[in-house]
Amino acid sequence: MDAAASLPWWIWPLLLFAVSFAIGVVAVLAGIGGGVLFVPLVSGLFPFHLDFVRAAGLLFALAGTLSAGPPLLRAGMASLRLTLPLALVGSLASVAGARAGLALPTALVQTLLGTLVIGIAVLVWRLRAAGSAPLEADALGALLKLRGEFHDPAAGAAVDWRTHRTPLGLAAFAGIGFVGGMFGLGAGFANVPALHLLMGAPLKLAVGSSVLLISVINSSAAWVYIHRGAMLPLVAVPAVLGVMLGSRLGASLLRRAPAALVRRLVIGALMLAGLRALTLGLGLWT
Amino acid sequence: MDLTRQDRELREVYGLALDLAAKTAFALALAAFAVYVFGLLPAYVPPDQLPRVWSLPVAGYLEATGAPREFEWRLAGYGDVLNLAAIALIALVTPLCYARLVPTLFAQRDRLFALLALAQLAVLLAALLAG
Repeated sequence: MDAAASLPWWIWPLLLFAVSFAIGVVAVLAGIGGGVLFVPLVSGLFPFHLDFVRAAGLLFALAGTLSAGPPLLRAGMASLRLTLPLALVGSLASVAGARAGLALPTALVQTLLGTLVIGIAVLVWRLRAAGSAPLEADALGALLKLRGEFHDPAAGAAVDWRTHRTPLGLAAFAGIGFVGGMFGLGAGFANVPALHLLMGAPLKLAVGSSVLLISVINSSAAWVYIHRGAMLPLVAVPAVLGVMLGSRLGASLLRRAPAALVRRLVIGALMLAGLRALTLGLGLWT
Repeated sequence: MDLTRQDRELREVYGLALDLAAKTAFALALAAFAVYVFGLLPAYVPPDQLPRVWSLPVAGYLEATGAPREFEWRLAGYGDVLNLAAIALIALVTPLCYARLVPTLFAQRDRLFALLALAQLAVLLAALLAG
């Protein structure tokens, strides 16, 4: 970091703002919080310690999803009805996961994270998108009224949706919340497959609702970092400002983006982040 | 009220609260950051001194600088401490939005979802207080 030390201090927040803006656009389109991209990329390319990057990454994912939420809700691209029960289970599990994760060595956590994310990317790539035909609701999904009508402006069609395998979906979000808390990330990388492939929500609604889920689940975890003094304003604030503006652009692009493009972005973002985490964990590129 | 109208109302209520709270937190964070980087208030660790310590782990950073872990009212006159308060506001946005959602759910007589929202609010407040 000798070359980095020779640069004036104000270069770094400016660069961080630019990188955060770019990640913010991609993260919303991919239905992820962006922390899974932000943490490996910024910890690898910037001179800040991983402690500050992880704290900023968590706030980064939170701020991006808070910023993208209003336009997604206005456009009907996210379902609060779908989000409420899943976020509750995910929040509780993420607190437990964060506490469990503190006991593990960083390299092991990075390696496990990389393996997990690459595995999810392969899963999304291999499995075809669920059909648009309405699925039969299960008893819990019917009780919670997890259904609705989703209008896709890009396809120009309305889709009646309802969840199935709802108990499995809740169990999946308990697992996702636990894993997300353990790795100190938003865990949005797993939300979209769980909502779309497991529970049968339309892909774009799954992406939009994933954004909302992250905003709820990450709020709990952010307080852990705030209480521990790991929020460095010079790292956190430029990242937050960049992602808030970038995710606004991403949210407006999501309405017009074809589902196939969104799917490719999801896979690409997962592979990139997974490989970076794996190389960090194995010490191949630190 | 049918489910579609109920959902639309929920989205509007939550979306409006989210938009207002997020923009307010965003603006305050930007203002507090400007105060810090332009040196309008004294700071525990001025920005030009940070490159010496930002590569340290958080425990080493706190020890080397004596910076406070979190916001304290008596330290509100320091630019970097003021920034922590602004950052904490960002993490407060979701609990505020849930607090706004609960009365709407009760008004819609959706007691099950009102209770789910209250339970979520309790989890968020527990994290806020205990960390």
